[in-house]
Formats: sequence, structure tokens, C-alpha cells
Amino acid sequence: MTAEFDLAMGEVARLEDVVDRRALAEVCRTFFELFSISVRVFSREGSLLADAHEEQEVCRYVNTLGDGRRACSRIVSDVKRLDPEGEAVSHSCFTGAEYRVVPLHYQGRRLGRFVIGPYVPAEMREVPRSLLVIDSRVDAETARAALHEMPRVRRETVERIGHHFSRVLDLILFSGHRAYLTSNMHIASVRESYRELVDKNSKLQDAYDKLKELDRLKSNFLATMSHELRTPLTSIIGYSDMLEAGIGGDLNEEQTEFVGTIRQKGEHLLALITSLLDMNKLEQGTMRLNRKHLDVRVLVTDLQKTLTPSALKKGVQLVTEIEPEIGNVFVDPVRINQVLFNLAENALKFTPKGGTVRFTARATEFAKDADDFGASMFDLVETAVEIGIIDSGIGIAKDEQNKIFDAFYQVDGSSTREHGGTGLGLSIVKRIVDAHGGKVRVESEPGHGAAFLITLPRDASFE
Amino acid sequence: MQLDFKQRELTLKLVYYGPALSGKTTNLQAIHELIAPEARGRLMTLETKDDRTLFFDLLPLSLVAGRGLQIRVKLFTVPGQVIHNATRRLVLQGADGVAFIADSQRAEANANKAAFVNLRQNLVENGLDPARMPLVIQFNKRDMPDVRTDAEVDQMAQKGREPVYKAVALRGQGVIETLVGLFNITWRRLDEDHQLGEKFGVDGAQLLADVKQKLSPRRHAREAAR
Repeated sequence: MTAEFDLAMGEVARLEDVVDRRALAEVCRTFFELFSISVRVFSREGSLLADAHEEQEVCRYVNTLGDGRRACSRIVSDVKRLDPEGEAVSHSCFTGAEYRVVPLHYQGRRLGRFVIGPYVPAEMREVPRSLLVIDSRVDAETARAALHEMPRVRRETVERIGHHFSRVLDLILFSGHRAYLTSNMHIASVRESYRELVDKNSKLQDAYDKLKELDRLKSNFLATMSHELRTPLTSIIGYSDMLEAGIGGDLNEEQTEFVGTIRQKGEHLLALITSLLDMNKLEQGTMRLNRKHLDVRVLVTDLQKTLTPSALKKGVQLVTEIEPEIGNVFVDPVRINQVLFNLAENALKFTPKGGTVRFTARATEFAKDADDFGASMFDLVETAVEIGIIDSGIGIAKDEQNKIFDAFYQVDGSSTREHGGTGLGLSIVKRIVDAHGGKVRVESEPGHGAAFLITLPRDASFE
Repeated sequence: MQLDFKQRELTLKLVYYGPALSGKTTNLQAIHELIAPEARGRLMTLETKDDRTLFFDLLPLSLVAGRGLQIRVKLFTVPGQVIHNATRRLVLQGADGVAFIADSQRAEANANKAAFVNLRQNLVENGLDPARMPLVIQFNKRDMPDVRTDAEVDQMAQKGREPVYKAVALRGQGVIETLVGLFNITWRRLDEDHQLGEKFGVDGAQLLADVKQKLSPRRHAREAAR
């Protein structure tokens, strides 16, 4: 019979599995203190589990005699071998003393037995002849005196005591059994829950692997499609260009305008497809950075110069605030210019006429995993530069601020939105900055403009 | 099921299943109260201080049927709370028969349904065939307001093939009928599968009559309950 089976059936196979030995010993001891009668508890197989006893005077006396000793050990082993099935039985000794053997039943099963005795039945008046003849050297007076020392108790009382003792043992067994089942059930339940969790985990892992594979397929598809789209587009732009330049003959004003629109939209489409490709490269980690040491002041001033014409056209003021001694950063100029230009264009787009766009640069410190435990404690900081592009436009709501760096996300997702764009710009910005080991964040109050702050480490050693 | 031909002993496991608070433990308490002390052991409730029936209840019954065949029946309840599914599945392991204790209140219809679906799932997960599992259904709490009417329960009983019992476990009504009914169909299924009657040399009909008599409520307990 397996342990799992016992648990499933709530079964007790062995007394010693469930019984609290110390409680059992204690009960035996108090029993002995109360009645002065020895008591022994045996398992089903006959091993002693607990006892409380004292050698009786008469036993000590007969054991000094050769034949007495042999007869005594015979009685003891007879009593030990008694294993009554239903009712309790009594067994007499040649000294006239008796033992009572009571079976222990639990949940309809016999699990062991206990033995009370020896005691002298109160009904006995004379020293029995069997004691006097057990050995030729028995002295009647000594035997009588020794027998007199033994506890005397009426048979009926012994029965009642036995009954009571088995009730007490039954209670100990019951509470032991309950504790045994509780702890085993607890372990089994925990194990079962763990098994369930492992199951769920492996299903989640499968789903995750599938998603990753899908993502890879999507990236491949994008890469291929972008490439395939670009080829015919180049022809469209090229031929529109030639038409516009009059290579195919003179065009009237209206025709020139139409062709111009075709070329313009074609270029827009090309830019869009290029962004998709960039995005893909960044996602796959295949974009290579060509880093150089760049003067931050030059970087920011150039940005301002580039944007001045469109700012003038829109009626927006451009301001630069660069700390003196700002120094260099170690970045890929093409990519970082792409980032700054993208952010600056956005800022301009969202700032109304009469507003201001500020470009700032200041020295700062940078912890790569600033949220990590110990990053500040162990001074894991590097000098860095923070470049800000700060507008006075419509601003970005708090709950949008985390999402704007996701690919294709538009704060205004409606098809009739006021401001155009692909929704790729900011996600490319973030990926390029990430690729530099830097960070980009946004600070904004709706209605009070937005500040995009890029932190770039001064060199690449921290990646 | 556990067979011991030498000792002429048969041990069955019957599980009381159902939604939380439908009265599974109350059924066992009523059985404990109603049948003769020599036929039952102590009712064991494995619980923690703050939780209702965290693990299970266990009530052992011990019935001597004709020709000295000793029948031991272990009645278990499962924890009804949804989160204890692992324990529920463990308790269901090795079940020979199931009593599904449903709550008669209309508001509990969905809880009954969910628990029943869960029972089927757990049987399957334990490798037990729900179609072959001896099952009785008890509609408990007949004394509550807004319960399904007797006519409705009877109509449902006609639709299914499982025996249906109505009960007020708190007052001991219907619990013994449910237990005897479950014992009967469980014995029949096991006898069919393992020829128990033949192997033990007992007459099935006589045995069922004996068991029914052993499980019949004690007169004085009945009166005490009133």
C-alpha cells in the first residue's frame, strides 16, 4: 500500500505513523501514578511504543530462583504474544497475578494493543499453590509478604480502567491522525499547485516563443516589403523629376504643379519607407553606429540654423541655451542629427504662431540603470550631456507620455487629426538613443508645452 | 476501493462534492449525528483557524454486513472555495462514488453549474471516467426562501439519469437517503466491475438491505434533533 493511497483514503496503516510518542508516554506515566499498575503499549507488529512500569517485589523474588526465573520469562513472552482480535483478554501468572491485554481499534482497524498488569485480583485470598511449587526453594512467608506488596484491584475495576485507557488512546490517535493528514495534505496540495504552475509556465513560454517567432517574421516581411516598395518608387520620383525639369517637353503651369505634387508625395512615401527600414534595423539590432566625438555646441547651433527658415515661416521663435564649456559627446552624427531634427520638427509642428521652441544643452550625470539597487550607492555614474528640445505647444497628457515612444502610436489616432505623421518618428528616436546607451524622456503638462530631454553618455565605455 | 479478502474487508471512498457553502460538511455532521455510534468513527475536520474547510472533512463508517463482510466507508468532503482546486483534485483521487451537493437557492444556480463542471474536469484529470462514476445529486437547503420548486427539481431529475435527493441537511432531512442511495449505486457499479458479491460470497440485495438498516437513523437521535 503506497503512502499516496493512504492519503487518498485518509487511512492509518501503522500506529507509530500517527501517534504522538511523547503524549503516549505521558499518558502511560500518569496512568501509573494514578493506579500504580504497570502499562505497556504495543504496535500491531508487537514493538513497544510506550510504557510505565516498576518491578514488583514478588517478581524480583521469583527471579532469584532458577525455576522461578524460567517460569516468569515464559509468562512474560506468553503475554507479549497475546493479540486479541475483538474483546480484551486476561492472562494469569503462576503467582496469582494477572495481566489484561486490550486491543486498540481505530476506524475499524486493529492497530495494536496495550497490556495492564501485573496486578493481584482483589478477589484472591490465599497465596496460590502454583507459586509455592514453582521452585523447591520458595519460602511461603517471603512469597506472601512479596505478593502483599503488589497492587490489588477488583477485576471489574480493571475492565473499567482498561476501557477508559483505550478511550484516551483513541483520542491521542485521533488528534495524531488529524495532524498527520493535515501536514501530508498540505504538502500534497503545495506540490499539486506547483505542478499546475509549472504547467502554466510552460504554456506561457510556448506562447511567448510563438509570439517571438511571429515578430521575427513580421520584421523580415517589413524589410523585404520596404525594399520592394522602394525600387518602383525611385522610378516614380525620377521620372516626375525629369518631367518637372522639362526633359520630356514643356509643361504648362497646371501640369508642372501636378507633377510637383506627385514628386513631393513620392518623396514623402520614400521617407516613410526609409523610416520603416530604420525601425526594422534598430529592432533587429543590425544598425551600426559610426561614432565620432562631436562638440555639443556645434550640434545644437547647427540644429537651430537648419530650422530657422521653417520657424520664420511659421512665426515661431527659436532660442538656444547652451552651458559654457559643454564639451563633446561620442555619437553617430548622422543618427543623432536625425534624432534632434525629428524632435525639433515635432516641436515646431506643435507650437502655435508666436510661440517659442528652446534648444538646451547642459552637463549632467548618468546612471545606466538608475533604478537599480545600488546604482547610486556604488557611484555607478558617468558624466553625460542632456540636450533638451522644449516647445510651448499643446503638451502631452500624463497617460500618453509612456506610449508615445511606441511604434505607430499617435496621441490623436483619428483619421481626421490635425497633425500628420506616421507615428514612427518618436519610436525611432528612442531606439537610436537607446542604441547609444542613452535615455530619452518627456516632461509635459497638457497646454503648457512639452520638453523632450535626451541624455547621452560622453563616451561609449558605459554600454 | 480497497479489498482485503483475508480479513473479508471492503473499503470504499465516497466524496461529497459541490460549491462553497452548499452544505457538504453539514451532511457529514448530520450523518454523524444520526447513525449509531458503533457504526461510525469520529468526524474529522481538517481546517485552519481562519478558513472554512481548508482541506476536507472525513467521517469513517464501519458496517458489518451479512456473512461477516466488513464494509468500511470513508466519507470525504472537498473544500468548495474556488481557489482550493488542487486540494479538491487530491481529495477526489481514488473516489468510488460522488454525492454532488447542490444549493437549491435560485441565486446559486451558476455556482452549482461551475462546481459541476469543475467536478467533471477533476475526475478526468484524476484519470476517472465521469460517465462511469457513480453519482447522486442532492438539492440541499430546501427550507430556504427562493429555491427551485419541488416540481422543478423533479423535472430536472427526470432529465438526468442520476438519482436526485432533496434535503435540509441542517435538520438531518434527506442526508441518510442520499448516503444510502450513493452506497447502492456505488456497490452496483463495483460489483459489476469486480464481481464483489461473487468474490466475497454475499448476496448483493441482502447486503444493500443490511447496509440500509445499519445506516438508518437512530430513533433517539431523531427525536433529539427535533
